[in-house]
Amino acid sequence: MAVSDEKKAPWYLRMAVHAILVTGALFFLMPLVWMIATSLKPLKETMKYPTSVSDVFVGVGRQATIDGRRYEVVLEREIKPAPDKPFYVVRPRETFSAGELWLTFGPEAWKKFPVFNAQELGQMDAQVTPALKVLADDKNCFDPATGLLTLCSGRKVPAELVRRIEPPTDGSVLWAVREWRPSDTDMREVGSTDREVTRAWDVLPASRIVKTSRIIPQNYPIALARVGFVRSLVNTLFLCLMTVAGAVISSVLVGYGFAFLEFKGRGVLFAVTVATMMIPFAITMIPVYLLYRDLGWVGSFKPLWVTSWFGSAFFIFLLRQFFLGLPKDLMDAARIDGCTELEILWHVVVPLSRPAIAMVALFTFLGTWKDFMGPLIYLNHPSQFTLSLSLQAFYAEHGGTPWHLLMAASTVFSLPLIVLFFATMKTFIRGIAMTGIKG
Amino acid sequence: MANLRRQVAGYGFILPWLVALALFIGYPFVAGFYFSFCDYPPLRSPAFIGLDNYAELLGDAKFHRSLGVTLVYAAVAIPLGVVLAITLAMFLNARIRGQSFYRVIFYIPHLVPTVVVAILWLWIFNPEFGLLNIVLAGLMSAADAWTGLFFGLGAETPGQGFFRPAAVALLAAPALAAVALGPIMPAAVRRRPALRRLLASLAVAAILLAAVALLNAVVHGLLPVDAKKLHSPGWLADGNPLPADLSFAPSWALWALIVMSMWGVGQMAIIYLAKLQDVPVDLYEAADIDGANWLQKTWQITLPMISPVILFNVVMSIIGTFQVFTEPYIMTAGGPEDKTRFVALFVYDYTFQYQRVGYASAVAWVLFVMIVVLTILAFRISQKRVYYAGR
Repeated sequence: MAVSDEKKAPWYLRMAVHAILVTGALFFLMPLVWMIATSLKPLKETMKYPTSVSDVFVGVGRQATIDGRRYEVVLEREIKPAPDKPFYVVRPRETFSAGELWLTFGPEAWKKFPVFNAQELGQMDAQVTPALKVLADDKNCFDPATGLLTLCSGRKVPAELVRRIEPPTDGSVLWAVREWRPSDTDMREVGSTDREVTRAWDVLPASRIVKTSRIIPQNYPIALARVGFVRSLVNTLFLCLMTVAGAVISSVLVGYGFAFLEFKGRGVLFAVTVATMMIPFAITMIPVYLLYRDLGWVGSFKPLWVTSWFGSAFFIFLLRQFFLGLPKDLMDAARIDGCTELEILWHVVVPLSRPAIAMVALFTFLGTWKDFMGPLIYLNHPSQFTLSLSLQAFYAEHGGTPWHLLMAASTVFSLPLIVLFFATMKTFIRGIAMTGIKG
Repeated sequence: MANLRRQVAGYGFILPWLVALALFIGYPFVAGFYFSFCDYPPLRSPAFIGLDNYAELLGDAKFHRSLGVTLVYAAVAIPLGVVLAITLAMFLNARIRGQSFYRVIFYIPHLVPTVVVAILWLWIFNPEFGLLNIVLAGLMSAADAWTGLFFGLGAETPGQGFFRPAAVALLAAPALAAVALGPIMPAAVRRRPALRRLLASLAVAAILLAAVALLNAVVHGLLPVDAKKLHSPGWLADGNPLPADLSFAPSWALWALIVMSMWGVGQMAIIYLAKLQDVPVDLYEAADIDGANWLQKTWQITLPMISPVILFNVVMSIIGTFQVFTEPYIMTAGGPEDKTRFVALFVYDYTFQYQRVGYASAVAWVLFVMIVVLTILAFRISQKRVYYAGR
């Protein structure tokens, strides 16, 4: 494996290396693949134990024909009428509030509290009109002899019989299916009575329900709106801009000073600079926080970018090493021509050091984009939140149920860095190698 | 005069950094040290209380647990990370097609923002619907089916499966392959007589079988995992250590964080890779002439040549462990039962939650001293083993 000699390894060894690397790559990419897969699933599909490999990555959808039209549907529940107690599909002749109905369809909470008081009924906008069908089961009882539907409020409403649902004789399963729309993926709409009552529905044997895959790009706009993406992005980009500008300008200046200017105590100061890289953040965090608090800057962006304008030990070190490798005669020539140090820096050193400077910019951008603890400590109003903080706040708010939305937001949040990486791959790889040189 | 101007110019250039050194490093360093001897609720001024904070630290069981968790994490995650990263780097260094493609793939996880990593892995570690337990359950049932095939474990009558055709095939296939494919074997193997090749292949097959059996034993003996009922570990919510009778062993929650940290190992591998490529080729050529095998070359050339980077990475990882914050903050909030309360989280809690700046400063200072000691230790231990070219 570590053969660095010129001749190639035999083919079976190369194949073995390929096999191992492909396996490893699959493991490394799997979390990201799953992140994207989850972000395209309906909420219900994320909360389901997969029964096949494809289930893990693609949400299952179902289609069925209801009243002559093909719909995307969800399975609401299994319907089990008994031979002596058949179920009915009926059409009421009067309008009544949806709250008076045992909701055949809908979240569990509704089924537990079927009886609403008059005030609650008044607040409900969902009405069951003669245009809608109702499933008359063991809860909403229908008597075909009298043509009356007994609601759970005790009221009896005249209704017209549409169909009688017999238990299947061939042992197949009956499902209540309801029309599904992509917007159902939004948590806000779950449990909305309007939706539950007014959607197309029917009771169908399993054989008439077609299994399909369901991929929902609509998760993305919903997730981004919920996280406050645009506002957070603007905040994050502002911080990135300020820190990148600050880090580049200050580190170039200081690095140049350490590399080419002779002054008393340079060696000691540089040694101190390198040593400060060993001081963990936790040590300086508290006094620096108190310092910014006394300046009245907590709750503003300033603590998050001002520091970078004074340089950072790591970048100063990297740039100094890079500068020292530049051809010295160019600088000497410029000095003889009467250039000031700043002119030499600007006209000679900076143009020659573009890759190193790009690396400082890139790593600062990456650091600011990913930073979580800084914003957590210094920002306290949601309008200031960076992407990191907004995403965490969205997670904390829901305790991690809307995984499809969390994964969609996460994907969008990670994507710029991955794109940036591919766009600047050369600088990147060289930079990573450079960080290793330190050893 | 000219000299004075040069001095002024020099200090002028590094002025911003001097300010930073004083304001953001020097002052906090000294102030933190002072605060550590004070009772300091952040809204009042610090009151000197001598060594009280440090005395409290000595008897604070929560702090001891926190320190223990951090050190256990370091003791497991750092060596594991170094070994994985070097192994990966060696594979990435192989002269094969698509080399740069593989490098990119393994580096990508490092680009994912920390908060996303935390939330993504929360989902992966979800005990019910998370990817990890789904995959584990799949592997479990696959292992069951497999070993059942060979040994009859899990079959109605144990031992019945041992002579099943599949087992025979597994034993026989490498042996047959070794004889049949003789011409493509490495020269060193090819030179040996066919009988010895056959015996060697049988040995390999036996080892394979033993490995499968061991895997099965580990799976069924150690992991409380039942493929059918999915009694997989609860991961982040699971405070039980593995094995359960050793109290200092990492809990499932800590293991989860360790597993997660391995996802970012590609970044370290790229650093090692850069160093691997700097190893002079003539060293290997000389070793080839001396007839050294792959293992000898790795042990006596590759590892010594990259040892400075290993040391550097270990030291940086030690410092990094004391800063692990975002992941436990988001994923476990230190729980269950403080099993993932890393020291950085401890300091954060005492500063911002309990408003005890003085105590938090004392903790921070203890950490600093520990980092210094561990770093010196790392240098000492490695003194004889780290090879610096040209020295």
